[in-house]
Amino acid sequence: MPFVEVEGKQVEVDEDGFMVDPAAWFPGWAHYVAKSEGIGELTERHWHVIDFLKDYYAKTGIAPMIRKLCKESGIPLKEMYELFPTGPAKGACKCAGLPKPTGCV
Amino acid sequence: MSEANGLRQPKRATADLFLKLGVVPVPDGEKAAAAIGHLDEFRTKVRSFVMAMESCVKCGACAENCHTYLGTRDPNNIPAGRADLIRKVYKRHFTVQGKLFPGLVGAQDLDLETIEKWYSYYYQCSECRRCAHVCPFGIDTAEVTMIGRQILFWLGIGPQLHTATSGAILKTGNHMGLTQAGMVDTLDFLSEEIEEEYEGLKVTFPVDKPNSDVLYIPSSADFMLNANTLKGAAMFLQYVGANWTMSSRITEAGNFGYLMDQNRVMREMVTRLMEETTRLGCKKIVWGECGHGWRATKMYVPTMSDMPASRKIPMTHIHDEVEAYVKAGLLELDPKRNARKITLHDPCNYARACGHSDNMRVIMNAVVPKGAFTEMRPNREANFCCGGGSGILFDDKKMYEYRILASNKKAEQVRATNAEVLCAPCSICKAQLYPMVKEHKLPVEVVGLVDLVGNALVFRD
Repeated sequence: MPFVEVEGKQVEVDEDGFMVDPAAWFPGWAHYVAKSEGIGELTERHWHVIDFLKDYYAKTGIAPMIRKLCKESGIPLKEMYELFPTGPAKGACKCAGLPKPTGCV
Repeated sequence: MSEANGLRQPKRATADLFLKLGVVPVPDGEKAAAAIGHLDEFRTKVRSFVMAMESCVKCGACAENCHTYLGTRDPNNIPAGRADLIRKVYKRHFTVQGKLFPGLVGAQDLDLETIEKWYSYYYQCSECRRCAHVCPFGIDTAEVTMIGRQILFWLGIGPQLHTATSGAILKTGNHMGLTQAGMVDTLDFLSEEIEEEYEGLKVTFPVDKPNSDVLYIPSSADFMLNANTLKGAAMFLQYVGANWTMSSRITEAGNFGYLMDQNRVMREMVTRLMEETTRLGCKKIVWGECGHGWRATKMYVPTMSDMPASRKIPMTHIHDEVEAYVKAGLLELDPKRNARKITLHDPCNYARACGHSDNMRVIMNAVVPKGAFTEMRPNREANFCCGGGSGILFDDKKMYEYRILASNKKAEQVRATNAEVLCAPCSICKAQLYPMVKEHKLPVEVVGLVDLVGNALVFRD
């Protein structure tokens, strides 16, 4: 697997640039992804989603159902796509250091 | 190997991923010889493949019937032309004319450039089998695509998406890497949703429940995207009083093995299915909304599994179950709850491989008001693919653009119905159509069929 350098750290990523090891996540990673994914500066709303995803993944080992993410974070789907143009499953999960979803998504 | 010049190819998996699936990528210099060895084996074992190689007369019937060709107008996307990418090599090595006069009969040696073309075109084909439906010789060109993909897999060439998904299968028994904790949390959430939406109705979603009669196999994508499909299935199973469960070891109606490696990976799912059926004491398997996975199960499990359970345990699709209850008049349904104008997309594997054209319509007519359902044309066995069939749900820029092109025909069909709702009861179709209806600016909501059943069921105490 390839590596990228973020804030002087070597981060192992997959072919799509997702982190291979979610445990290696650090805030600089989210800023780095935000830049490369065209998200720009991360606002409080972005961090709210990222923190939710990280917590959920730590508890369950998966990314949440999108409907659950919206309901429990209080951020409607429309705003979610405004915050993360490539969508919650890809853009937001990538910022939060979750693996890229596989299968029929 | 880098991407070949100008060819449309999905992002490919690394050697690491292949190693996890037990495949050591073949070095470039040895690829052609290895591929010919595999072709020789298929030639001696698979009669439908020989028929495809020997019988095609290039009549052209398949061309205008292939959504891939209609979307791209690339001659290599004509089903006969796509099969020719293997056929010319087959001729060179396995026919007298091709051995003696290759130039005269269009025979060609296999080289890396052709292998790159295989990778490009066998992953643009969606294995929808509409070409097989119209071929006057009955050639199933999708079988050629499947063999092409299988050989590429053995060489260590495959899309990141299919390869990573296959890795998830070996690790977790599902495509998305779902864990038991994640499943239970998601299902609790759905129970709460049902309670809120249906006046306090309590529906439970059992997981790994021993001594269950029915093992329900959902698509793992339902846990992320298709919540209402999961809800509808649970509501139906509870309504009819089934003693049912799902299994956290095989939470997957799909089988990406069928789409890439019809050996090791595909067999993993089959084995897990039979092990879990036996472990949980189930007497029947009911399949969720997934087209290719249902075909893989219905057609291949009995021969692929070497466990006795596969010969004894009946396997049905949730649509068959609902149809039987509708026909017997055992469901109280309120079609007014699904009042919007709706059309039905026939998933290819249901309509052309599994005989589901009727059951979907029996259900549809029972759960929507009279006059709400409009057929798209053509339909049933002649329907066009959504454009994402066989899991070609790639999101790298070039391939995503291709998915839009490949769904041109579908968009045209949907638009002509003026429907507000597009029912597409298959996870791949749903994953393809959610973004595609936006790209084609179609004002429709994409839903499953069991979703509508759950929504129409009238529960009484």
